[in-house]
Amino acid sequence: MTLDQVILFTVDLLALFSVYLIISLGLNLQQGVTGIPNFGLVLAVAGGAYITASLSTRLAIYLLNVHTSLDPIVNNVTVLQLVNPILRSSPWISIGLLILFLIIGGASGALMGLISSAPAIRLREDYLAITLLAFGEILNVVGTGYDPLIGGPAGTSLPDIFGWAGQYRFYWATLIMLLVAVMLFVYIERLVKTPFGRVLKAIRDNENTAMSLGKDITRYRMSSILIGSILCGIAGALWALYSGAVTPSYDRLDYTFLPWLMVLLGGMGSNVGTAVGTLVFVTLDELIDYFKYSFAPFLPFNVVWLNYLLLGLLTIFILIYRPEGIIREKWTSTPAARPQTGEAKPG
Amino acid sequence: MGCVGLLNPVALPTIISWLTYSSLLSMMALGVTLLYRTTKVANFAHASLVTSGAYVAYSIVVVLHPNPYLGVPLAFAVVGGLGLLLFYGVLEPMRRRHSPTVMLMVATLAFDIVLFGVLNILADYLASTYFVPSRNILLSSSDFTFMGQPGIFFVAVGVLSLCSVVLYFLLNFTTLGIALRASMENSSLAQAIGVNVTLMLAISWFAAGGLAGVSGALLPMWTLVNPNTGTVLLASMFCASIVGGLDEIYGAVLGGFLLGFVDVVGTSVLASSIGAWIAFYEPAVPLVVLAATLILAPKGLAGFLSRRRK
Amino acid sequence: MKEVVTSFGKLRALDGVTLSVEAGSVTLLIGPNGSGKTTLVNVITGFQRPGGGHVYYGEKEITGWSPQRVYRLGITRTFQVPSLFGKLTTLQNLLVADKTHPGESFLKSHLRHLWINHEKETVEKASGILQTLGLAEQSDKPVSVLSGGQMKLTELGRALMSDAKLYLLDEPISGVNPTLALEIFARIVSLRKQFGMTFFIIEHRLDIALKYVDYVNVMASGKLIAAGAPVQVVSDPKVIEAYLAR
Repeated sequence: MTLDQVILFTVDLLALFSVYLIISLGLNLQQGVTGIPNFGLVLAVAGGAYITASLSTRLAIYLLNVHTSLDPIVNNVTVLQLVNPILRSSPWISIGLLILFLIIGGASGALMGLISSAPAIRLREDYLAITLLAFGEILNVVGTGYDPLIGGPAGTSLPDIFGWAGQYRFYWATLIMLLVAVMLFVYIERLVKTPFGRVLKAIRDNENTAMSLGKDITRYRMSSILIGSILCGIAGALWALYSGAVTPSYDRLDYTFLPWLMVLLGGMGSNVGTAVGTLVFVTLDELIDYFKYSFAPFLPFNVVWLNYLLLGLLTIFILIYRPEGIIREKWTSTPAARPQTGEAKPG
Repeated sequence: MGCVGLLNPVALPTIISWLTYSSLLSMMALGVTLLYRTTKVANFAHASLVTSGAYVAYSIVVVLHPNPYLGVPLAFAVVGGLGLLLFYGVLEPMRRRHSPTVMLMVATLAFDIVLFGVLNILADYLASTYFVPSRNILLSSSDFTFMGQPGIFFVAVGVLSLCSVVLYFLLNFTTLGIALRASMENSSLAQAIGVNVTLMLAISWFAAGGLAGVSGALLPMWTLVNPNTGTVLLASMFCASIVGGLDEIYGAVLGGFLLGFVDVVGTSVLASSIGAWIAFYEPAVPLVVLAATLILAPKGLAGFLSRRRK
Repeated sequence: MKEVVTSFGKLRALDGVTLSVEAGSVTLLIGPNGSGKTTLVNVITGFQRPGGGHVYYGEKEITGWSPQRVYRLGITRTFQVPSLFGKLTTLQNLLVADKTHPGESFLKSHLRHLWINHEKETVEKASGILQTLGLAEQSDKPVSVLSGGQMKLTELGRALMSDAKLYLLDEPISGVNPTLALEIFARIVSLRKQFGMTFFIIEHRLDIALKYVDYVNVMASGKLIAAGAPVQVVSDPKVIEAYLAR
């Protein structure tokens, strides 16, 4: 591989990593920290992607004062031809819109989180996992059937908010996405270390005892799902904006199973572990994708299926031989160090 | 109500459709519930296990050209074997390490993905070696007709009835069945009194796999089958199990028929009264039924019925 | 003077139990295994609903209150089998017991200055309790590595964090070495003297417990069969029969 190819590969990888990191952090908060098995992450991710996509062109024409009688979804290509030049000429307007769209993505995630949290009030473990999995399926049904959302099976395009960077758009896009991911990482890491985070872990470890200590279990569980879903919604919106278009094809494999694999790989409960697991996994996945065509002559089957086989087998391997993942959850220090020892334990 | 209207000849195909679909769905849900009762695990691999049944049967048809129904016993055996593989190869090692239930579920999800890949490879192989379509497969043209109705209707209902009777007999009148039930109720106690719980679990995984295989083998006689058909049906399988009630095995059949009714008959009725566009949302039906069940009768129909009896 | 009066109708494990606990006393509840002692505590603290009957805390009726409400009222319980937060440290297990930590609210947790002082105070208090119980060394270790006896002590420490008025302790010293057990009971008595707390203790270690308690209640098969001063109860023929009949 030439240097240029390496750079391209890395940039691609980092973009994918950013999006998956955010989703995985959302999952880790729910499952690793609070013990809520959310097998329906795709609901929040797709929610963020579809709703942001749906509103993006509409808001763009409204805010940028573009006058058109065309439908922003049905005629999205034509409408965007009016919108994109404005965006390309001004980085500030583009970034402004980006922030707005991310907020919408987060809000959509929150809405999906509210839907997901309803069964979570009474159900636990298996029942909850199955229910959330089933709920996750609904958005693609709506996306495909309800045209005004994202134009049905054909999907819709989004405004080109990275267009201002010209030939460097992928570099800038990746940088911005990475920035958002890092900010969210810092936020979640700090949140988990607060007394609030401590209660979440307590609920995970022993719900009855937490109850006996006066904690409102329902409120904490809902908060956890809500925050996790907001993160997933933001990730969905980011990916939609980066890709430039959405189709109702955000599936369970990509957005529920893979994040589970990443969090498992890195070590449930630890945000740092989640980040490591995500990085390792995304790198592996990209490498497989990149090199699989060179394996093609040696494989008796179509390389397209290689990902499924390898990822599934990898997950099984980890679950049997190293279920704690790469990084074990560190016993987090308490924010107030004890005066006698004069040092805080690293965590 | 529209009961009289439903009985007229125009609605008969809908009823047949309902009963056929529900029979197949119930077979799948039986497997799901059986596994949940014995191993306390929601088996996400059931999706691809069902699809495997379909492709095993299809492969036989493609290679040997027999009557498509003859593929059923083979599908039972092969997919039962897959169930055993999942149990002994993946779940049992994890159980020995005391893995939490959630991780077992993730393992079944992983197995499902591997199986999905394998099925696709098989489909590619069939297409390229035998020059037959291997996606969107449909065998209903080879079906027999009886009394004006497609043979699959009789076979599906018949096989479900047979399976239910066998299961009932097995569970209530044989030593094996009693040992199996003991493992379901209280596995540590069962172990203490000498029941080989691991063997019981293995048997239930084989049986559940077999049921999935059979229902899958019958699918192409009724609808288009693709490697992802099982995945699409998974939500319905789980809904049927939960709606029927996971506490009783027969709940799966209750759930299958209720869900099938709402899905097939309900959509049909709605489509004719509100408009054909509603058919697009048909996949959402199991989810709506599930949500309603969780609110109104969280233990499912079986739980609801047993509470009323008290 | 606070009193807890409880009387129950039919419940599977409890069968018409009426007892009252005097404020500021150390009361013991004994009885053979399966006599319904833990069930009684469960009903008082809202973990189980009584089939009939009432639970009073002073003048207030608290029948059927949720465990959370009961805790906030000032009633703390421990569990027979140590119910700790396995992946948290010993110290953190105590910190969670705090009732009024602003940092536990999602919104407030974002502004460190709103809760950092309270956190420091709580840490000090918890550390002090751990010191008294001899667990200072284990403070930053996950409780999953503690021995059975240490876990029991942690559970007790957590109860002491709550500054409650009524403590329902379910076998607090089982698995604890006798010297420490005696110390614990001595401390219980001094707390009672100092702060007027009430202790209601389920215990089997009569050799230790009887020295420190004011009253003893005896249960068997879901019924209350004796109540009164220790000396009296221990020589009650019904009590002896209940224990021997097992």
